[in-house]
Amino acid sequence: MRELPFHTILIANRGEIAVRIIKTLRRLGLRSAIVYHDADAGTPAVSMADTAIAISGRTPMAAYLDIAQIIAAAHKASADALHPGYGFLSENAEFARAVIKAGIAFIGPAPESIELMGDKIRAHNFVQQNGFPVAPSAIEEDDPATFTFRARAVGVPLLVKPSAGGGGKGMRVVRDLATLEDAIAQARSEGQRYFGDGRLYVERYVENPRHIEVQVLGDSFGNMVHLFERECSVQRRFQKIIEEAPSPALSPELRKRVCETAASIARAAKYRNAGTVEFIFGGGEFYFLEMNTRLQVEHTVTEMITGIDLVAQQIYVTAGRELGFSQSDIVSRGHAIEARLYAEAPERGYVPTTGKVLVLEYPDGDGVRIDSGILQGQQITTAFDPMLAKIIVHSPTRIEAALKAHRAMRELVLLGCETNASFLTRILREEAFLSGHIHTGYLEENPHIASGEPASDLSGFLATAALLTRPVREPADAVPELHAAMGSWRN
Amino acid sequence: MKHFFEVDGVDYQFALSRCQRGYRLRLSNKVIAPVAFFQQGEGRGVLTIAGESEPVRFAIDGEVIHVHIRGRTRILHYRDPLRTLACANHEADHLLARAPMPGLVVATSVSPGQPVSAGTALMTIESMKLETTIRSPRDGVIDRIHFNEGESFERGAVLVTLVEEGR
Repeated sequence: MRELPFHTILIANRGEIAVRIIKTLRRLGLRSAIVYHDADAGTPAVSMADTAIAISGRTPMAAYLDIAQIIAAAHKASADALHPGYGFLSENAEFARAVIKAGIAFIGPAPESIELMGDKIRAHNFVQQNGFPVAPSAIEEDDPATFTFRARAVGVPLLVKPSAGGGGKGMRVVRDLATLEDAIAQARSEGQRYFGDGRLYVERYVENPRHIEVQVLGDSFGNMVHLFERECSVQRRFQKIIEEAPSPALSPELRKRVCETAASIARAAKYRNAGTVEFIFGGGEFYFLEMNTRLQVEHTVTEMITGIDLVAQQIYVTAGRELGFSQSDIVSRGHAIEARLYAEAPERGYVPTTGKVLVLEYPDGDGVRIDSGILQGQQITTAFDPMLAKIIVHSPTRIEAALKAHRAMRELVLLGCETNASFLTRILREEAFLSGHIHTGYLEENPHIASGEPASDLSGFLATAALLTRPVREPADAVPELHAAMGSWRN
Repeated sequence: MKHFFEVDGVDYQFALSRCQRGYRLRLSNKVIAPVAFFQQGEGRGVLTIAGESEPVRFAIDGEVIHVHIRGRTRILHYRDPLRTLACANHEADHLLARAPMPGLVVATSVSPGQPVSAGTALMTIESMKLETTIRSPRDGVIDRIHFNEGESFERGAVLVTLVEEGR
């Protein structure tokens, strides 16, 4: 196999995904460079990269969204390719164009594909026109008043989404048309803030749907394969928290149909590089939801069942190589589950939390993979997304994977910042999860899972705290009064 | 000896007293004994509670104690009873709009002197890319806005103070 044409790859990202990309770069013998804001100084990704270049901004987020600074950093690091990770500029066609114009290879699809699929309205039209199934919807064109009118016509329940969105940002379910205008205003504001685009679209909200997505991979020679599906129905606030592969909901026939549909959509779009086609699955039918033109957080479960390093494949395809395998070479083995560790308090409505990581210990063992972007001593701030790490397990069967994931979550110790670890542990032993009967609204319908243990279970914690706390401990450890009064007579 | 801890916003008062093989824990009307804790190096120990021993990981940060037992973590805030009394917040809590999470102010939609009804949007805050609208807890008049746009605050901080109408 000929050598890769790249020497140094700049990572325009941070946290766990930057660490994960660096690991593959090391394995491929490539140098890594990373941009970082001061708020990330000393984090694992910055320490691990061969070169780290500081960038600044009005806020830490703004720094990672500053195209000119990132291109300048790539030049400074003599990078010949750039990996955008996920989030930030990963699905920004203008950024991809600027990278290519600067003579740097963009590790991702062509800017035209990002534009087509990154814009939910265009993607929806494209998929529908190509004869693939989509949910009833209304699209905002020029006139907001007409949009509201047409949104009403779709009927409730409705889902309002920013056209340029992702990760659940700005999405709102409307069950009562009286709240439609409020939901539109809020979704528009968030779309504008996070994606620089306030356009919206609404679609029929399928009740009790499952979220099933298919990993696809295409090269510049017109080859397109799928790497099977992932089930991401365990969500809170439209954000995935537990993902698995394969989906327990699909029969072999349905699996074949969903996966082949995804590959056909990607093929029709002349898609190159790694991407994900997302579907809503309900009542035995599936509808196209959107296509993500980047590596996804949950790509790990696909890697665990197929043994294929998706970051390496992204690099090969960008380097102009032909895929080294065809569809029949890709085999799904065993079952993988990923749990996302977030700095948040599920017990208080999943509000973000902050703090300094005082103790951090990850589980290990066969079939346990940790993709983490934090280390002990690090301050968790509100500047970024709350995801701290991912705990991924692989076992021969789904039930064994669920048990392994449960054990791994119990073994994980993170002290200093509240996390959703106990919540994840509770989900992993829920009857609904274990039997595979889960849907995207499951956690919302079962608030007891988030609310946690009853107060009576606190005795162990209270006892430990009391026995540990100095002002409490001193009098507790003091010589009992009666003995003290006996003075030297005590024997 | 009585102890006061706050966990998840709830105050717990309980008593520890010596008994034959450690301590006796009295939590409301429940008594657990014996309770003992053997520290085994920094941040580690074994808790024995009613005959069962469990490894414990902990970290102490000032008056905050982080404890991990049997796969669960809790954050406990030690409350010095005297200090709690001395620092009691005499402001009427129903006239305060507090931050449900740490974050920063994105936009303020009211100004001092403005009358508002319960549920009026006062402020938009953001934390970890999550936007939340802070609404008025009751009818009243805006007295003070404590943070400007772009300023950050901790969880529980008072964002907006109201006064009762007509005062």
